[in-house]
Amino acid sequence: MNRRLTDGQFAWLLMVPGLALFGAIIAYPLVSALVTGFFEQSLVRPGRAFVGLANFADLLGGDFWPVLRNTLVFTLGATIAPFVIGYALALALNTGLPGWLRGVFLFPWVIPGVVVSFLWLWIFNANYGVLNGLLGTHVSWLGTPATAMVAVIVTKTWASFPWMMVMLLAGLQTMPKELHEAASVDGAGAIRRFRSVTVPHMRAIAGIAFLLEFIWNFQHFDTIYVLTGGGPAGATKTFAVAVYDTAFKGFDLGHATALGGLWMLLLLVLMAFYLRKENA
Amino acid sequence: METLDRRAAFRLAGLSALGAALAACAPDAAGGGAPKGDAAAKTFGFTSWSLNEEAQKAAVQATVDAYAARTGVTIDTASFPYNEYLNQVTLKLRGGQLSGAVQLDISWLAALAAMGRLKDLGPQAAKGGYTDVALSSGRFQGRQLGLPWTTGSIGLVANTELLKKAGVEGMPATIEEFEDALRKVAGLGGGITPYAAATKAAQLKDILPWMRTFGSPLMEGDTITVGDDASVAAVEWYKKLYDAELIAPDVDRFDARALFAQGKAAFYDDAVITRGVVAAQSPDKSLTEKMAPLARPVLKAGDTPQALLWGHVIVVVDGEGSDAAADFASYATSDTATVAAFFEKVKLPPTTTAGLADPKVAGDTFTTEWTEKITKTATPNPFWRYAGYAQIETAIAEQVQAVLVGRSTAKDALAKAAETAKPLQK
Repeated sequence: MNRRLTDGQFAWLLMVPGLALFGAIIAYPLVSALVTGFFEQSLVRPGRAFVGLANFADLLGGDFWPVLRNTLVFTLGATIAPFVIGYALALALNTGLPGWLRGVFLFPWVIPGVVVSFLWLWIFNANYGVLNGLLGTHVSWLGTPATAMVAVIVTKTWASFPWMMVMLLAGLQTMPKELHEAASVDGAGAIRRFRSVTVPHMRAIAGIAFLLEFIWNFQHFDTIYVLTGGGPAGATKTFAVAVYDTAFKGFDLGHATALGGLWMLLLLVLMAFYLRKENA
Repeated sequence: METLDRRAAFRLAGLSALGAALAACAPDAAGGGAPKGDAAAKTFGFTSWSLNEEAQKAAVQATVDAYAARTGVTIDTASFPYNEYLNQVTLKLRGGQLSGAVQLDISWLAALAAMGRLKDLGPQAAKGGYTDVALSSGRFQGRQLGLPWTTGSIGLVANTELLKKAGVEGMPATIEEFEDALRKVAGLGGGITPYAAATKAAQLKDILPWMRTFGSPLMEGDTITVGDDASVAAVEWYKKLYDAELIAPDVDRFDARALFAQGKAAFYDDAVITRGVVAAQSPDKSLTEKMAPLARPVLKAGDTPQALLWGHVIVVVDGEGSDAAADFASYATSDTATVAAFFEKVKLPPTTTAGLADPKVAGDTFTTEWTEKITKTATPNPFWRYAGYAQIETAIAEQVQAVLVGRSTAKDALAKAAETAKPLQK
């Protein structure tokens, strides 16, 4: 029998099942969702009507901007805080702290996100919460716009600093000791060594870890939904919560998918940054 | 050798695809090929939020087990938390993954009915002996889509012991007396919330009876009147209670129940189910004896006390096993021995004339008092007629919450709520 397929053709054929799966569970729903953004469509009523860009115009004239602001505040807060804490702990573990502490610090990361959120829901409860009990106060941490966002960021930070710590610790452990020794011989102190040796060496891995955490937080849902449901009065409503509420509480698939489309555009910009950084 | 491997791979892939296609076309083990609406179906589903609530779980399961034992069927139960229930059931129904009998809050009937998948239970309703009020709660656009399981109201309940300690004489009948009572209770200190009113968006629909108390009809014809002077006055009053710490922040029904059960709240809003729930949660086993329902205080003496009609129905999804599921729904809601036993366990009043006349029900003082003081003047929420009623309530609740946390004035917030709600009236 003669060979009828080239290696390239055979490779494509092998990819067919994967591509079919991708098409069925990613591409088709995605395209279908994007198209739905141009229709008035309800989750409970049959039929739909083409409305052009009306859904996008509604959003850009109303809910989009406060939701974008909340998403950015949450994303920045919930990325910077674990990054700083994770970096500090990674440095400490890389120099002096006993190794078993790594396991202890990893503990919050292995607890499911919803469980973490329920723990903190109990801590922050205004009427019988642990925090008010300890402080002897009666603050509505989750019921006041200013403190609700802080509470959500604290919870997410507690859940995600271990991942940041592990990533950065791995980076620190690839750093040759000789670099620090040479800098010490040249008279550099601890801060100078950190600034001139550690930071440049860690720039790539820290950048990737920061960007990944930023992208994940930009899409984050469970902590916010469990703790505040996007409230009070929309103060913690991010894209993830807004899309969920619009689609599954408001039954408004048209506006929900339009909002999802705008959200995806922003994520694509972040993805482009990530790919550029990774290739660099 | 290379060519043979490729061929073998293709054959394998082809056979796998063929197998998958055949498997997809084959009837499933659960009898997917059975005729639809089969009264003799041996398996059907029952979805219920009560199976997720500690206070009611055992009683509901007992009803399910009794029916299964009597008829030899298998009932596959499923449950979701109340606050997530409507979303989950809607998604499952839309995705074709919901079948059998489904417990619904009466307020959700329009949303589910709009999907056109519910079975007409007219024949079961006709022979069930239900009261007219109860039957009307399961009717949508002239069709009997739900069999009433319990019909009652949401009203105020008080802890008489706390009121006595605070020096409150008798039950407050007007807003002024109510506010006065709250201030007296606040004077007790000890972390007591005088009125554990809903302040989280999920249950802020509880503001609606207060809006009616202040004189807002909520709807006139097809026009939403939220935003009128009376509803604005009600929200401003609510905000006054909030600022004076007579109601607490961050409270939904479940928080309110917990506070009341711990003896940390003097008043809260709930359905008649309150006694069973509080008994299950309270460390004070005699608390239920200190509980008393009260008519919602009125703006001025002589006004009609406001309360929201409330209840559960069981609907059936049209399709496989739906006749058997309809028979189960009929049994659970109208078999006198079953509904009387159910009442005894969870204190939810039945919906049939015979059930209400059963000595276990008729002899229960708390239920009789509740009916007399609260249910007697209860009215349905006018937004329930719309499939998007939940969105309308959410629009109002979010704006009331914005007022409570100081993000908006009552007038602006309610005007915005009405504007958001208007396109949802369909």
